[in-house]
This record gives sequence, C-alpha cells and structure tokens, in this order.
Amino acid sequence: MTYYMYSNVEEVTPYERMAAALNGEKTDRVPVNFYPRWAALEYSGITFKQGWEDPDLYVKAQIVAQERFQYDCVIDYDMMGPVEEAIGAKLKYPENDVPQIAEPLIKTKEDMKKAKWKLDPRKDGNMPKVLYAVSRLKEELIKRGRGTQQVPIWTWGSCPSRTAACLTGFKEWFLIVARDPDWAVELMELAMDGWLKLVVAACDAGADTVWINDPVSSRDCISRNHYEKLTQPYQRKFIEAIRRETGKKVVMHPCGNWHDRLDLVYQNQADGYFLGPMDISLCVEKAVESNEKGLSRVKCINGGIGAATPDTTDGQTKCDYATTMKRGKPADIEENARVVIDTVEKADIRCILGTNCWDVKGSGSANRDAVVYSARKYGQYK
Amino acid sequence: MSIIEEIRKNVFDGDENNTVELVKKALDEGKTAKEILDDGLVAGLRDCGDGFEKGEKFIPEMLLSSESMKVAMVVLKPLLLEGSGGSGGIGRAVLATVEGDVHDIGLELVGTMLETAGFEVRNMGPDVPTEDIVEAVKEDKPHIVGLSALLSNTMDIMPDVIDALADAGLRDSVKIMVGGAPVKQDFADEIGADGWAYDAASAVPKAKELRAQLPN
Repeated sequence: MTYYMYSNVEEVTPYERMAAALNGEKTDRVPVNFYPRWAALEYSGITFKQGWEDPDLYVKAQIVAQERFQYDCVIDYDMMGPVEEAIGAKLKYPENDVPQIAEPLIKTKEDMKKAKWKLDPRKDGNMPKVLYAVSRLKEELIKRGRGTQQVPIWTWGSCPSRTAACLTGFKEWFLIVARDPDWAVELMELAMDGWLKLVVAACDAGADTVWINDPVSSRDCISRNHYEKLTQPYQRKFIEAIRRETGKKVVMHPCGNWHDRLDLVYQNQADGYFLGPMDISLCVEKAVESNEKGLSRVKCINGGIGAATPDTTDGQTKCDYATTMKRGKPADIEENARVVIDTVEKADIRCILGTNCWDVKGSGSANRDAVVYSARKYGQYK
Repeated sequence: MSIIEEIRKNVFDGDENNTVELVKKALDEGKTAKEILDDGLVAGLRDCGDGFEKGEKFIPEMLLSSESMKVAMVVLKPLLLEGSGGSGGIGRAVLATVEGDVHDIGLELVGTMLETAGFEVRNMGPDVPTEDIVEAVKEDKPHIVGLSALLSNTMDIMPDVIDALADAGLRDSVKIMVGGAPVKQDFADEIGADGWAYDAASAVPKAKELRAQLPN
C-alpha cells in the first residue's frame, strides 16, 4: 500500500484545523502533529548538525516535509541548548542528533556565580539563530500560502526543572532533589527566565503555539511527593507566564510515565497535553475527571501512537509501545491511531493525532504517511 | 537487628555516613568483607531496586542508596581484592552505559562484582559516546564489553555500538554483554550481543563463561 498516492483536496487548512483543536473545537477532521524533526531532516537528507549550522536549510526541510507528508504544523529547532548555552553550559553538537551537555556548568553552589541568568534572546549565544529560523518559517509559509499562512508554527520551551537538570547534569540534579530541595527551588527559579524570554521572542518572531517539555519529573524519575512539592509549581508558573506574555495556546509534554500524577499535571492549566508512552484511556479518563471538577482546562490530547496496542498486529514482531513507529508496520500505526482517535474523541476532547514522544529517528516514510492517512480515515468529523 | 541488617537498611534508606560507619564497625566485629558486601550492601541495593520496581522508590532515592554503597566500597574494595587473589587474573572488561543514558548504578555494581571475581575492569561510566567505547576497546583489548541502558530509547544505541565495533574490526576479539532494566534476552539476541544477564550477580558467571570462549 502506498499512502502517498492520496490527493490533497481538503478545504480546511492545517492552520485552521490545528487552531480549532487547540480550542477544543472541530473542523473537518482530527489534525496531526508528531513533532516532525526527523521526518523533515530525513526527507531532505540532511543531518541535524547541517540544519543547525544552516537555518535556511532547516526551514526548507520543515516546509518541504510538511508539504510531502501533509501533517498539520511545522516546528522550530525544539531542542535543549540555546538557553543553557547562553547561561554558560558547554554543549557538544553530534553529527546527527540534538546538542547535549558536554560538561555540567553547575557542580557546586559556588558555580551559580558563573552562570549568566539574565539573557537577551536577540543577542545572547545561539538564541538569535532560533528566532531567525522562526521568522524565516513564517515568511516562507506566508509566501507559499500566497499571502495567507496555512500551516502553523510550533515553538518549544524547556520547563525549569529540565533546564536546571541540564545545567547541573541529570544525576547531580536528582541528588540535589533528594539532598537539598531549597537549592533545587533556587535553580528552577533562575532557570525559568531564559526560556520564557526565548519563547516570548519566538512568538514575536511568528510562532503560533508553544509546547513545553519536562522529562525529569515523571514517575520514572521522581516521587509524586517531590513532583508536587518541588517541580510542578514551576511547570505551572512557566505555563501561566507564557500564556500571560504571549496569549498563545500552550501544550505540555509530560515525557515518560506520569500515570500516578496525571491529576497534578493537568492542574498545570495547559490547553493540551502531548502524551508520553502512557495508557491513553487512563490519560483521557483523568483529563475528563479533572475538567469536570473545574481543576483543569484540557481541550486536546496529542500523541498516542504506540501507546494503544503494545504488539504489532501480525503477532510476530514484539514491539514495545515506545517504538511502534520505528519497528511496527503501517497496519500497526493504523490500528493504534484508530484506538487513540476513538478514545479521545469519545470523551469530547479533541485529538491531535501523533506519536507518544517525538517522531523517532529512522521511523520511515511509510509509517509517517500512515499517521496522516489514519487521521483522514478514522478522524473525520461528521 | 544484626549489624549486617543495619547496613542493609541504611543502604536502602540512602544514609551514606551511617553506612560507612556501620561497615567499619562490622569489620571490627569480625564480619568478612564478602559477607558485608553480599548480605548488607548488595541486599540493601536490591531492596531499593525492588522498591523502584514497585514504584515506591525513585531515581533520587536510588542514587542515594548507590552513593551509600559507593562510599562503603572505598572501605571494602581493597579487602575484597585481597581475598580474590588479586585483580585482573581472569580477564579484562570494558563497561559503559551507552550515550544519552545517565544511569550507572547497575554498571557500578556489575563493575564491582566483576572486579571481585578477578576481572580487570575499566568502568567508563554513564553517557559514553559510541566512538569512545570503540577507542577504549582498541586501547585495552578487553575480553568482555559490557553495555548498559536503563531507558527504552537508549537501548537502541546498543546495536550501534556493536556495529561500530564490527566496523572497526574489533567484533570478533570481544564478547559483548548487555544489560539494564528494559534489556532482555530476546533483545540481546536480536541485536547480536553474546550475552545478557538479569542482574550483577548473574553477570559474573555469564562473563566467565564468555571469557572462556576466547583465547588468552
């Protein structure tokens, strides 16, 4: 089966479709966002490093891949790095992966003085490059839409706990959480400002939606008690500040397994949640419960592919549910998508179909096509 | 509660200072280093691992337990090596947690157990780039390469390391063992590793078995 053989005859634009879903409304069908970093780079045959060194190349890759796969947004660099680097961390840039911390900046409290906490995203480090990419995406999308932007741009921000962990090193961060919670709070307080400024500047440059990520506060990492007392207040504060300063919709990615703290994460007041590898039914059930109690405002749930059916449909290949996109077949993607759309939409929450974490490197065009195909097949609103 | 049980409890609770003091006291009372390691430190760490599996312990608590074990091992290790008749007699091992994965508790434990079993161990620690592992294998010419990953997304780096060793012409000179919470025997088979072990204790006989398949 070749999914690419369908024609693009839809009258609703990705911009309209996505804006409606983020607002809890329906248009023609369920939109798709699987955070197409690798889809774009692989389709254009470039490495992440090439895209980072040449923002115009990255912009082109995003645009042509969206046109090819027809999902419903483009993304900026969406990576850890520019803010942490401007604060003073040394990064290493692998040939074909996102930057990583080469050496933690903060090993002792004394090291806090080495950090530059007050940042100007238009001047410091590589932040201007991120803003340039966003503004070029905007220009190019308006040009391609003959004066009307038809595809939205999503920009990314790092939650304060994640930024703090990047600055101290992940292992040291968890030890700080255990040994010195006051220091953890101080780090998050200082870490929030840089990313907030970059996100605000990215929206000024043309980004339409903000998504944020925390991979260090899941139940894979810290206790519910540590989450509630330490890191969750800073997620919520970050979301509130983004909404206040940009007026944009905010989608949060609780990365990993958050089953035992979904009630708390929904109270962060994000408009949507891009799920990690979790039980989609439980996530939806908790969102409805929390909305009904007036504790949250979950309008849409994004993600899910891989989470719904742990095994491939042929019963031969064992796929753990985090890697179905990479190891499964298009039929597995379709079956996952059907369950996800059905589960989310039945609860009268809008589904933004996607993967249960970023689009995985090497997932293959057939599987990526299958996601969009599934949204068209199973996600039509009557 | 016996002193060994107290050590076990303090490792479980992640109390570094108390653990060291108790280990010293246990030695003074005539307990053997092996007994303190197996029934005190390793048992405490295993309890903590069980707590992690049940969702009662998390990474910060695991790290504190691991740190307790590490500081206690500073006291115990010379005695254990003395007892094993010297380090490095059986063979050489290079151990690493693959790139992108910062977990090293299991790796530390495997390293310690292999050392006490007579292997000469180079523990490269967590988050090691593939090219550094290849370089270490070139330099050390080990018999065993042990790769660890705790995350389902980083376990996918393991086949890359195996491929890189093959590309460097080193694959046939070593036996590759893989481990870590998400790694199972079927995954080891799928990626072409030579061995897998459930935990640090079972890693030792597996490493010895694989070592015996290589020439001196």
